[in-house]
Amino acid sequence: MTSELDRNVPPYNHNPSAWSQRIPICVLAFVAAAISAHLSLFQWGFIESAWDPVFGDGSNRVLKSSTAERMFGIIGIHDAALGVLAYLGDAILGFAGSTRRWQYRPWLVILFGIDVIPLGIVSVVLVFCQAVVVGEWCFLCLVSAMISLILVYWAWDEVRASLSYLRLVWKQNSSVGLLWRAFWGYRSEAMERAAETLLSREVR
Amino acid sequence: MWGRVIEIMTAVWLAASPFIFRASDNSTFVWADSLIALLVCVLAGLSYWQPTRHAHLLILVVGTGLALWGRFAISPPPPIHQNHIVVGLFLLMIALIPNHASLPPQTWQDDVA
Repeated sequence: MTSELDRNVPPYNHNPSAWSQRIPICVLAFVAAAISAHLSLFQWGFIESAWDPVFGDGSNRVLKSSTAERMFGIIGIHDAALGVLAYLGDAILGFAGSTRRWQYRPWLVILFGIDVIPLGIVSVVLVFCQAVVVGEWCFLCLVSAMISLILVYWAWDEVRASLSYLRLVWKQNSSVGLLWRAFWGYRSEAMERAAETLLSREVR
Repeated sequence: MWGRVIEIMTAVWLAASPFIFRASDNSTFVWADSLIALLVCVLAGLSYWQPTRHAHLLILVVGTGLALWGRFAISPPPPIHQNHIVVGLFLLMIALIPNHASLPPQTWQDDVA
């Protein structure tokens, strides 16, 4: 049972859905959620100042800037609180599923990818806003943006494995119905054949 | 079933929210939050029973309603409604988690058994 679930997925010489690959993502996402929670406490007014050993009062000015207030006006919650939710989402979606979820639950892996990859892009946009619009820097915001980019890098192999599997299902059968069922993790001979094709590729 | 356990814990937080955010003098918040929390607990609980194992997916509807109520009831949202938005969005994520999330789906289990 273990060997079937833990087979390496070419072109990688590891299983991208293995716990050893996913647990670090979950841990790092929890760290980023804790950082965002600290920033949210400041935005909510529960603490007097956000911790910043590099830019001093810069963090407070960024978090209370007109850009941050405008985002609050649109979303209804502070941007840091939204960050907490997004990072918790990364951790939860990263933790769910077996060690062969790239094949058994592609919807979960792709949802995880959607949560991780746009989050990385949003982080880069927020850093851009700090530099250009606000004219100040926030140390913990930069740390969380860096974590987001690491998460994108770590999560990509699993998303790629799922997309490659779905692509093979499509290529071998050209059936939208079968692709749809493969996406939701249903089982059929055609899907097993597609997975076997993927698993028997040469490792670079 | 860890997803269902987290849903029940989130429901407990929601029921306690009017007291945490000092809105307990408003009976609408106390009743609404308690009833929504009860509904989440019932749906999470029903997911433990085989015939209603997909009941947790209805929490997606509850979470969407809660987030929309929090966002559009009063603008800008006071802390109690910000809590509704956060809890609603969190429920949307957790309700998607399958019951036996760490195992392969039933249809694939024969293959790996």
